[in-house]
Amino acid sequence: MTPDLAQLGAEHEALIQFLYLAPVGLVQADLHGEVAMMNPVAAQLLMPLSRNGGLDNLFVALEGVAPELRSMVERHPEPSGKVCDGLHVYLNAGHGGKRVPQILSLTLLKLDPERVMAVISDITEQVRRERRLRQNDAWLNAILAGVKDYALVSLDLQGRVCEWNPSIERVTGFGPDLVGQPFTRFYPLDAMTLDHQQDRLREADANGWSLDEGRRQRADGSLYWGSALIAPLPDREPLPGDEAGAAYCLILRDIGDQHGLPERRHDDAVRDHLTGLANRRALFEAAERELGRSSIAPRPTALLVIDADHFKTINDRHGHPGGDSVLRHLAGVLGENFREVDVVARIGGEEFAVLLPSTDLARALAVAERLRASVVAYPAMVGGQPVEYTVSTGIAVALDGEGGIDRLLARADDALYAAKRAGRNRVDHWRPGIDVHDAHQENADAT
Amino acid sequence: MTDTPIAFDAPDLAERLAHCTPEQLDTLDFGVIGFGPDTSVTLYNAFESQAAGLSPQRVLGQPLFTNVAPCMNNFMVAQRFEDAHEDASVLDDTIDYVLTLRMRPVKVALRLLASPGAGTRYVLVQRQPR
Repeated sequence: MTPDLAQLGAEHEALIQFLYLAPVGLVQADLHGEVAMMNPVAAQLLMPLSRNGGLDNLFVALEGVAPELRSMVERHPEPSGKVCDGLHVYLNAGHGGKRVPQILSLTLLKLDPERVMAVISDITEQVRRERRLRQNDAWLNAILAGVKDYALVSLDLQGRVCEWNPSIERVTGFGPDLVGQPFTRFYPLDAMTLDHQQDRLREADANGWSLDEGRRQRADGSLYWGSALIAPLPDREPLPGDEAGAAYCLILRDIGDQHGLPERRHDDAVRDHLTGLANRRALFEAAERELGRSSIAPRPTALLVIDADHFKTINDRHGHPGGDSVLRHLAGVLGENFREVDVVARIGGEEFAVLLPSTDLARALAVAERLRASVVAYPAMVGGQPVEYTVSTGIAVALDGEGGIDRLLARADDALYAAKRAGRNRVDHWRPGIDVHDAHQENADAT
Repeated sequence: MTDTPIAFDAPDLAERLAHCTPEQLDTLDFGVIGFGPDTSVTLYNAFESQAAGLSPQRVLGQPLFTNVAPCMNNFMVAQRFEDAHEDASVLDDTIDYVLTLRMRPVKVALRLLASPGAGTRYVLVQRQPR
């Protein structure tokens, strides 16, 4: 071997080893998922999922846990770009043993019209750690952190207040007429749906307790930061003639308002820096939670995807600071038009999304139409001048959590494209056979 | 240890491998990876080296499941060795697997060998006809 060839050989070997040792899974495949190359960690993570003993096809290997991949790639309109970013893939905890990951993170990048690249990593521990931290936070707040006072409330099987006592008045200001009302009275108006109320009780039944922390509202309308712990009571089968007997105890604590209500409460990881709204990750987490619950307690969930029309023109005319003002203005309008329980997020440059728990299509259409009209009626102010703009909205509804957030978002996106194509400043909703392809085409031409 | 070639599926394979010199291992037509109780690689024959594209110097002494063959670091392979060690039981099992030799997924049969008394455990790799 000549020295040059020897040098090349050594470099090649070093590169091969670099890929062998890369601590993430890397896969290159064609658009049908046929694998061209993969590194060892990819095989380590995918082999336990393979049902035919092979790893010839990425989509086949992941079929059981992420069936949407194939269609996500097929429907990705651009010739290149991210198809999904850090998608959480929940594996079935089928096998025992400590080496079995439960959650994979999957990023799919379309390299060109022929190839995709996947990055796969095991994030089981990471997700667990984050969850534990959040729980610890809530626990510590419930027990220790600057508790001003607490109220003890007994609830019946439906979550209605059974009895009044002075601690309730001290903490919440409610008098004896509270008896018979649902415990959601302690929450701001619209902060909790009826379904959520039942979720909490079911969770308490299943785990022995259910804890949450957030804004609470006193009888006079003032807000405070509080935690609520619900635990089922023993011997709670109603006695004859006493159907409204106590079935749960609720401990409501005023943690004080030193946390700065409410935005400062959450760290930057879940908040969009420009608008202060939830970010994409927070939306996905909330959606996974809500859709997961709706598969247990059936109910519809609506997702709105809202996009500022001709945003590029706004940017061109008013500069990026002007564009940012419009986005902040839109964020403000969004904040005013939705319930406390709805999750309003910024998920892209000028793209926003709102998750509406326990909401069917008719209601979602009404809310979206109201939003559209608000934007038209109240223009943004940039440098003292009104800037008029409009929004288009796509709506999709998942029944009983079916299909998960990815399908819901993809459908809402399709509906958004349809709304754009039909002329903008309008609302459309997903339905089978919605004409997506042309819509994408035209939108690419004229955003 | 001369005339009969050693077969991948020989019943007494571990014992026969233990008597081979590194040069003899290099003549085999399947991959041989031997490793110690701390999982560091002690044997790496020419067949395996050629298939993986790694010279033995890069591999010998390295922990097998983290630095050499991370693809086997799951319950299907690595944990089998750990379990066998914990239970002080004999492991001799052959499984279908996919290795990523030079980043190409390749169907192989893996034979996993370990016994409580022996210092060396083996992962043996035979390519399968596709």
